[in-house]
Amino acid sequence: MSKVYFSTWRGEQINNIGKPEEQWEVSAYNLPADYNEHAHSKAFIGWDGLALFNPDVDVVRLAAEYAAQYQVYSEACGRCAPGRWGGRILYDLLDKIARGEGAVSDMDHLKEVSKTMQETSKCEIGKTVPTPLLDLMHHFEAEFMDCINNQKASKHYHMQDTNYIAKITAPCMDACPAHVDIPAYIEGVRDLRFDDSLMATRQTMPLAHTCGRVCPHPCETECRRTNLDEPISIMELKRLGADYEIDHGFGFFHPAQQKPLNGKKVAVIGSGPAGLTGAYYMALEGIDVDVYEELPVLGGEVAVGVPEYRMPIDRYNQDIKAVRDLGVTFITNTRVDADMMRQFESDYDAILVATGTRISKKVYCENERADIQGYWGAIDFLDKVNLEVKYGIMVPEVDQKKHMLEKDYVDLTGKTVVCVGGGFTSMDVVRCSIRANAKKVVMIYRRDEKTIINNTTYEEYHEAVEEGVEFIFHSAVAEMRDENNVLKSLLIDRFELVPDPNGGRPTLEKIEGASFEMECDYLIPAVSQSADLKLIPEEWEIERTSWGTIKTNGKDYMTSRKGIFAAGDCEYGPMTIVNAVGQAKRASSVISRYVQDGQIVLLDNEIMEDHLRRLKVYNKKEKVTGWLPGLPREHSEVLTADERKYNNKEVKYGFTQEQAISEAERCMRCYYIAMVAH
Amino acid sequence: MINFTINNQPVTATKGETILQAARKAGFYIPTMCYLEKTTPCASCRLCVVEVNTTDSLVLSCQTQPTQGLEVTLDSERLQRERTNIMRMYDVNHPLECGVCDKSGACDLQNKTLEFNIDSQHFTAKEQPRKTERWGLINYDPSLCILCEKCVHVCNEIIGDDAITLQFGGYKSAVIPKNSDKLDCTFCGECIAVCPVGALVSSDFQYQANTWELSPVPATCAHCSAGCSLTYEVKHTSIATGNEERIYRVTNNFEYATLCGAGRFGFDYDVQASKDTVAFEKAVSALRNAKAIRFSSIITNEEALILQNLKEKLGLKLFNEEARAYQMFMQAYASISGKSASSGTLDAIAQSDAIIVLGGRIATDNPGVRYAMTTAARHNGAKIIYMHPLEDTLLQNVVTQFVKYEAGSEEGVMAMLAKTLLADADLSDEIREFFNELDEGYLCAESNAGDEEFARIEKSLRRMKRKTLIIGSDVLTHERAQNIARLAALVEAYADFSLVIVPVNVNTVGVSLVCDLDQDENSAEVVGYNANGDFVIGAMCESDLTVPAMNGQEGTVVSMNHQLLPTNVAIGFEGYCLNDLANALGLRRLNTIDYTAQLPKTKGFKAIAFDKVGNFYGALGEDNRGYRLETLDVPVNGALEEIAELPEFNGTVVYRCNPVNQFNIYTAHTTQLERDAALRGSAQFAAAARIGNGDRVEVQSNGNIEMRTFVLDESLKGTIALSPTFDEKFGAMNERYRFEKIKIMRVGS
Repeated sequence: MSKVYFSTWRGEQINNIGKPEEQWEVSAYNLPADYNEHAHSKAFIGWDGLALFNPDVDVVRLAAEYAAQYQVYSEACGRCAPGRWGGRILYDLLDKIARGEGAVSDMDHLKEVSKTMQETSKCEIGKTVPTPLLDLMHHFEAEFMDCINNQKASKHYHMQDTNYIAKITAPCMDACPAHVDIPAYIEGVRDLRFDDSLMATRQTMPLAHTCGRVCPHPCETECRRTNLDEPISIMELKRLGADYEIDHGFGFFHPAQQKPLNGKKVAVIGSGPAGLTGAYYMALEGIDVDVYEELPVLGGEVAVGVPEYRMPIDRYNQDIKAVRDLGVTFITNTRVDADMMRQFESDYDAILVATGTRISKKVYCENERADIQGYWGAIDFLDKVNLEVKYGIMVPEVDQKKHMLEKDYVDLTGKTVVCVGGGFTSMDVVRCSIRANAKKVVMIYRRDEKTIINNTTYEEYHEAVEEGVEFIFHSAVAEMRDENNVLKSLLIDRFELVPDPNGGRPTLEKIEGASFEMECDYLIPAVSQSADLKLIPEEWEIERTSWGTIKTNGKDYMTSRKGIFAAGDCEYGPMTIVNAVGQAKRASSVISRYVQDGQIVLLDNEIMEDHLRRLKVYNKKEKVTGWLPGLPREHSEVLTADERKYNNKEVKYGFTQEQAISEAERCMRCYYIAMVAH
Repeated sequence: MINFTINNQPVTATKGETILQAARKAGFYIPTMCYLEKTTPCASCRLCVVEVNTTDSLVLSCQTQPTQGLEVTLDSERLQRERTNIMRMYDVNHPLECGVCDKSGACDLQNKTLEFNIDSQHFTAKEQPRKTERWGLINYDPSLCILCEKCVHVCNEIIGDDAITLQFGGYKSAVIPKNSDKLDCTFCGECIAVCPVGALVSSDFQYQANTWELSPVPATCAHCSAGCSLTYEVKHTSIATGNEERIYRVTNNFEYATLCGAGRFGFDYDVQASKDTVAFEKAVSALRNAKAIRFSSIITNEEALILQNLKEKLGLKLFNEEARAYQMFMQAYASISGKSASSGTLDAIAQSDAIIVLGGRIATDNPGVRYAMTTAARHNGAKIIYMHPLEDTLLQNVVTQFVKYEAGSEEGVMAMLAKTLLADADLSDEIREFFNELDEGYLCAESNAGDEEFARIEKSLRRMKRKTLIIGSDVLTHERAQNIARLAALVEAYADFSLVIVPVNVNTVGVSLVCDLDQDENSAEVVGYNANGDFVIGAMCESDLTVPAMNGQEGTVVSMNHQLLPTNVAIGFEGYCLNDLANALGLRRLNTIDYTAQLPKTKGFKAIAFDKVGNFYGALGEDNRGYRLETLDVPVNGALEEIAELPEFNGTVVYRCNPVNQFNIYTAHTTQLERDAALRGSAQFAAAARIGNGDRVEVQSNGNIEMRTFVLDESLKGTIALSPTFDEKFGAMNERYRFEKIKIMRVGS
């Protein structure tokens, strides 16, 4: 809801012209009425209409400036005839009118060119740039004609009183927490220019191998192709560029030339996705970065949490090497504590905390005690599995004893494993248990099948079922039963979904008498994780969120203490890799300026990014035209359950080139330009 | 099969075919400006939009596959209006210099402007100053450029140079060299060929002639064994002298075929002579008294047949070590495969998803193979394994695994490779036994190709469906070539591979089929025919008798694809030719091409007269050039021999290989191609040979002494230097094994 003077955004027709301000009808959309804390917006104009926030907007100049942006945004245009020449003609004619030299025929030519651009342009920019211009020419024709008939410049034409800030976006880019330039990397695949594809990805996402495999791809949920048939398989197309780099031994395709060292130093705590991302972009900016890692291996949860069969370590290591290639120093086996942090504050120009959430939460049942043998937190369980599988680091004797292992790796032969969860981590636990040869693997989940698919992915759930994991839905562990501190069985409660007679959300209610006992050897809680923030000196009094993570404003990622930043799960709570990447990318951008001048400033591009995310670029209701519906989404081949069950081979083969190209050809290049005048 | 309709007519498309492709196949016309059949769609011109019944708006036919039951409309008022507007935009500020533009008369923009009846500039935009770029053999004028991106696509997807890119910038967009200020490429000139306007032009040809003044002569390129199609464009040099003709340029059917720089720019090697009766008589008597004729494979099948007839008539021997090596290789191959020719072609390479190249510097030896490999790499994501003693930077963006082996160890490497590829094959006990008994430790250690390399090959081929093994020309002259041929035949037969053998010269295959060759004894009284001898008959002015060069010959050749290809006379020749000599010696044929129908059917030729042999591509790319030779069944009587001890090549070793676009004495005589005849080596080689960059050196090999300038090449590694052969008189790269121990001495700097 925004207060507007006039709006045609997304088809709404709000016209408060001439009305007293208190009677203004408001817009249904989250339009950027305030550009930032210092400036109110005068107008917003974009692919789907425009909004004026104030009566004194020079609409003729606004139109010309918007057309000019199309010329400026060279990264996206110049690729088709109607866009290239049409865009220039639009700008030239609008500017001609705005400076008082226009003719009536120019208005006709503008409409004619607009029509051809809308009908025939290659990407959505060319198709949509004319939309708000035609709106302006229609609703404010008098102002255009005034300039033409009287051969006079538009009202603010010669004044420098307005800033025009534009941003290129796309529904998928907007939905991606790392705002990856998805249409560009897909275009690289379509044009068989895989180096360009990878460089487009790496502009905002250094972990191309990783996020080509284990990203939950929120972009695909907001892919505009969904409105036509099925979303593009965006995630997997990322792998082509990344594989090209490896296959031909080219070294690394960085998105920009690395700046020379500028004498500034930053410490990054944690080498997971957030830490790596922060380090990568700060190093590109010429900052000397030291990354501290508690474990003997680099990569955080993607290394020791995500199993080999989903994320082969040689590919992840390639992403890590790309960071190392920029001269980042990694210090492993070093758990940073409060004393070190105090020291770091004086040794470094800034600190980025990216320690994730590595404490497994409890399931909250009767007799839930950490000292019962067989009770094994998901994070620690996955650590032990992955350290052995990926790095050959065996389970130490003390842990073997603690977890009743007969060998120096996780071998669950003859054992029954029960996991409580429902998210990615729990899926990793059960599928790793299958691979560790467990006799029986059970997943206990409070909600239903549909929800578990929503929380993870369709493939992940079905692959687990195929491999023999037993899912018990609408259930929860009520009690752990032990003998001499050794887990023997669990009492499981069953629930049912009871509809709310008042039409509210249905509630889960326990089915009395349906509880049952299940024998088991291990209970692995994978409900959620919390952050371990013991490294933060208490006297710093850094603000926390109500869920126990580090608090920032979610825009610049500085904590309540100057110079201390936080990104990834330790800031947000347990979330996705791509979320960690997005936060760390933004944080590194802010830090790279902060270390120079001590100011916390967001770039216009970043401010616009946040505005657009609030507005939401994707429109589920839009009717998509210009593309033939019914072209099916490609699916890459998967190992059969028998081929993959007892080993750690990567489950997905990835696209063949042929599949990748036909998938890339489905992409509609939904680039848009948005612009704020303030 | 997808059934749909175009303008209410039923049409079918195969899976993967676009509306545009299906429409063209069915004979419908859809205008395009940026579409190129051999690359992925550029999708920039937008002229090919069509209407369909399943969505209100226009759909791009070049990149859209039809769906079942779709109704497509190709022409309507709305389409006409939008296409006309696009053409109006194309014409905004396009310089009105058709009067002098090279492209005028064959220009897509000109044609479409007329087609859409654009007679004035409807829209306006601010003019921008633009500068013409001079990139050596290529000039680029951005003001003429319509940014269709064809050049960029072809350079990356087919050629593999990836040397140009689009500088994005809306109206200011331009084609620029990629990652470099100057164009750094192999100068194939394919960008010129595909340019629909006069933006990219040959700097040599620019402003020399109008399209309509040139007479096209369809021919076959004579520089390597790929046998690419090309057209010589010929015109008289002045009105005053009238009949003096010259080749102005070479063009090609870029829509379906590709040409390298040597084919495109290396065309003026034609010679001229008058009827010198004295020299002719001397030649006749030299032949009559000769014990043997030594000849090169850069001749037509018809000349080869004349030589064979002379052999029979005069009791001569025929020497051609290069073709004989190929002949023996193929005999050994046939003794295992039971076929006279292998299955693979350039097309098979382009279709592959896995390619192994063994023994040849393939990118410069045979650009046709390189382009097919690039096509496979880009379009099919092919895994390409390159096995050679020297890495080649030209291939870096297509090769996925380079396997270095020691010079001379090809037989051992082939044995290990065959063992790897045949691991699961259904082999006879005898052959299985052979592989089981290989001394892998010895072979890996001596060849330096480790077992981990073969394990990696096995892994990367695991899911591949269309595999090709390419045998380069190093192998053909290897001492153990025949055993390698037998192993290659097994791979083809039992591991589901296509096999491509790459000979050196344009007609090595034809000569090997037509002529009964004798081992060269280096004896006296040898007449050279385009080769060294006591009396030389050749296509060089300094020959004892000058005969026409390949671009002055009418006749046929057989390419590496085992396809008979015709070639025609670009410039008429006034002197004598081989047929005249043959007639003087008692053979009776009016014209050389009278021999075409006589080519031996027992070797797969057909009794088709030259004038009946086609030489064109159909409108949809159908190859109507000549015919593919019949593959004959031969008895299977060969057996594998034990792998011989691997030879060692220590000390100072050179590898005979030519720089980009140079092949032989003929390319060396052309004016546009660069002639860099330096010996190139790494810093390691220079240190071992105690020479430095720019030194004049004396190279002694096999009794020959040649003077070369040494160039230190940073892109090279290891202890083997590259030694060119193209500038040697009739020197053939492949008369003997291409690696050679030499003595090198610095004689100056």
